Amino acid sequence: MRKRTLKRGLSAFWWLTLVFLYLPLAVVVLFSFNAANSAASMTGLSLRWYHQLFANDQIMSAFGNTLVLALTSSLIALVIGCLIGYGMYRHRHRKLGWLIVLIYLPIVLPDIVFGISEMAFFVKVNELTGLLGPGLGTMIIAHVTFQIPFVALIVYSRFVGLDPSLFEAAKDLYASPFKRVVHFMLPTIKPALISAFFLSFTLSVDDFVISFFTSGPESATLPIYIWGAIKKGVSPEINAIATLMIAAVALAALASLVVNRRKA
Amino acid sequence: MTETSTAERHSQRRDEPHDGARSGVDAAGSERTASAIHMQGLHKRFGASTVALDGVDLTIEAGEFFTLLGPSGCGKTTLLRILAGLEDADQGRLTIGERDVTEVAPHHRSVNTVFQSYALFPHLSVRDNLAFGLKMRGVDRAEREARVERIAEFIQLGDLIDRRIDQLSGGQRQRIALARALVCEPDVLLLDEPLSALDAGLRSQLQVELLRVQKRLGMTFVFVTHDQDEAMVMSDRIAVLNGGTIQQVGPPREVYERPVNAFVARFMGHANLYPISARQGQRVTTELGELELEPDLDTPQQGGGELLLIRPETLDVRLGRHQGVNHLAGRITERLYRGSHAEFRLAVGDTTLQATINNRGRRLPEVGDEVTLVVAPEDLVTVAN
Amino acid sequence: MTDTAVLGRSQGMVREARHLLFTVTPGAAWIIVFLVLPSAYLMGVAFMTNGPYGLPQMPLSLDSFKQLAGFGFLGWSPGNLYTLLRSLWQTLVATGLVVIVAYPIAYYITTCRAKWRPIMLLLVVVPSWTNQVIRTFGWMNLLAPGTPLSSVAESLGLIAPNMGLYPSNFAVTLGLVYNFLPFMVLPLYAAFEKLDTAQVEAAQDLYATPVKAFWHAVFPQTLPGLLAGIVLVAIPAFGMYVIPELLGGGKALMLGNLVANQFSGGSNWPLGAAGAILMLLATFAGLYAMRRIGKRLGGGEEVVI
Repeated sequence: MRKRTLKRGLSAFWWLTLVFLYLPLAVVVLFSFNAANSAASMTGLSLRWYHQLFANDQIMSAFGNTLVLALTSSLIALVIGCLIGYGMYRHRHRKLGWLIVLIYLPIVLPDIVFGISEMAFFVKVNELTGLLGPGLGTMIIAHVTFQIPFVALIVYSRFVGLDPSLFEAAKDLYASPFKRVVHFMLPTIKPALISAFFLSFTLSVDDFVISFFTSGPESATLPIYIWGAIKKGVSPEINAIATLMIAAVALAALASLVVNRRKA
Repeated sequence: MTETSTAERHSQRRDEPHDGARSGVDAAGSERTASAIHMQGLHKRFGASTVALDGVDLTIEAGEFFTLLGPSGCGKTTLLRILAGLEDADQGRLTIGERDVTEVAPHHRSVNTVFQSYALFPHLSVRDNLAFGLKMRGVDRAEREARVERIAEFIQLGDLIDRRIDQLSGGQRQRIALARALVCEPDVLLLDEPLSALDAGLRSQLQVELLRVQKRLGMTFVFVTHDQDEAMVMSDRIAVLNGGTIQQVGPPREVYERPVNAFVARFMGHANLYPISARQGQRVTTELGELELEPDLDTPQQGGGELLLIRPETLDVRLGRHQGVNHLAGRITERLYRGSHAEFRLAVGDTTLQATINNRGRRLPEVGDEVTLVVAPEDLVTVAN
Repeated sequence: MTDTAVLGRSQGMVREARHLLFTVTPGAAWIIVFLVLPSAYLMGVAFMTNGPYGLPQMPLSLDSFKQLAGFGFLGWSPGNLYTLLRSLWQTLVATGLVVIVAYPIAYYITTCRAKWRPIMLLLVVVPSWTNQVIRTFGWMNLLAPGTPLSSVAESLGLIAPNMGLYPSNFAVTLGLVYNFLPFMVLPLYAAFEKLDTAQVEAAQDLYATPVKAFWHAVFPQTLPGLLAGIVLVAIPAFGMYVIPELLGGGKALMLGNLVANQFSGGSNWPLGAAGAILMLLATFAGLYAMRRIGKRLGGGEEVVI
């Protein structure tokens, strides 16, 4: 009896929490279709903000920057992180404490410290050498830096989860070192590589603070544009961009659900 | 009586010629030649203090079913891994067939392994797992498919071949792993405790299957196990290892019935061992009293061992008191009834002794019974300590 | 023969070392050059003097730390101290609230059918996949003056008329709880999923009351997850920049804003760098403390994910 009351209470709490989690997003989506130029009241439905959105060059270029930044940094991080993840696995019996510290550093460092460190560093390097002026290049470097650990840890844990005999079976079955990489290792860790890529991509699109401090005048991403627009005074267009980004996340969530279903 | 039947089978097998290359029929039906293995002074250390192999000299004949037997940590797996090339020996030389492979990488050796965990590639189907070795060797597609089909038929995989790895049971995985190694037609097949993860019923079924495959192919099999029953059932010859050295090499019957030392005697089965305090001709004195043995069984090297070995099943347990040569008076202190046979613990003088009796439906002695133990001189062996 | 074998072995070791170098160097070098070096440089900046455009200059001095402690041209002012205390307080309150919400949620998910659990977890996590700025913007929409929520709060007398729930300290706390909830639910869920129910049943058998059974059998088992969650929530919350900046207005600034503003608006790099050092110290102290507690309570269990 008491158990059932508890369960009912928990269930109610669960639904309340879901409302709490999705209400802010729902409001953004709702206001994106608002006919009025107001954040406080809905007067009717309209697609005018979406029309304005696609006509806005700044937003379109911010969108392009976001994609280029996320794609490029994720690919670079995938290669470097995959190598380091495999190195950590293969040499896991050595004392690699320094490497673990190094790998965790980008994760534990507060965003803001991360961002201003990069900024101060890039400014100094630029002053001394003329290289690394703020722009997409510096942003890519910064993003790769925080993506590497996640890729490395995902790849590492995939390798650790494998039967160590598999590596020996590949050798035993006449695979040369190169063929072992192509025909055994890469196909075996493919799921890990895919999820590492998507995580890196998501982290990149999600990031605001580090992008903000490493970006240049031409390299604003969508979050930076939105931030600027909010700071200048809310423009309803923001709701429309935000809605599109939320829609992208929702699609990704659905995709991950489908992938998980298929695996099960 | 299982012991005798196994022993008989092995004594017959011992008569078969071992020397030189033995030929057999491979999965394709063509004649093939098996390879002998020579090991000379193999040493292997892990870290500074762990000695895995401490000078191993061993010859495995072509076409032989050879077993490396020993407790965990005895070096048997290390030896197998050195054969596979997965581990490098610190010292020594290894030849397979005519070729010195001491420093040859595993993917350049014509040796394949059936791993204890089977090590089937999870990202590949059964069919692609079977074809993996051939593909790596650059065998063309048509030939590959034909050979996979042939091996699948030979091992009777049936419709397993189109399954995913995660849809297979343990026994099925074992057979796929065997097929994957055999399809490469290696000179030598290595098996690292391949049956240890299976339950007893399936295990004995696969033991028979494995033996049959080996006999048909005539391939050299090197088998690692810690289970002495399995070793005796399967092997042409057994090497018993302990502490990184080979204790004894021989056919199962020899290793069981005429062990060279106490370790081998105990490892191969229940053993009653008594220090010999005095010896006069063929008569030896132990805590049990005076016993007579046959001269050619007074091993090792006929010089006589320090310990007397009496296997429990060689003792004849008779009710009541009787007199005669090798007759011992005892009292039953414990009885373990096991259906087909019963195990007894007896008090003889100041010491104890184990005996096993087959259950032939007659009255079995009970705890407290006064009995006479009779052992034939030819069943007594002396072993080194 | 023996010599060649020994040679082969040392060659193997060389090969292994080269392999380690090849796989690990690119990533390690990247992190060292683009994170360790910049952080070290930033720490150096903290010990320099503030120049005309806010940029660091020689000579070395401890001015920035004095400024951080509140000593300025006009004598001591408590502004920075308040900011620091506010950061600590917000972190504490937000973490506490997150635990209170996440604990029953994580437990509830484990009591549901296995096929629903991944979907439920996904539902909890998905909002955090959207950009932080957008999520916070959503709360701005919800809490602004004139919105239904603000009207309700107004009629209950919780806020002054026409003020709205945002900007305020309350809005910042709410934003932090919202932002970090998934980071607490996930490790707690993992802990609940591993829960040894036999222990709980034994406890019910021995201690009888549910409260005692929870305290003696359930809570200790979830502690590693709880500690991991606290690390994941409290450390980034303490350095939070976006949420106080957007939801707090000028009066609810936290340490993150103090630091960031020295690099964007106000421009005093050494002061900002000194603030960053403070933040780093707090981060590592927090990590260290959690590790110690985790080791003492949970045996060898690793607290940092």
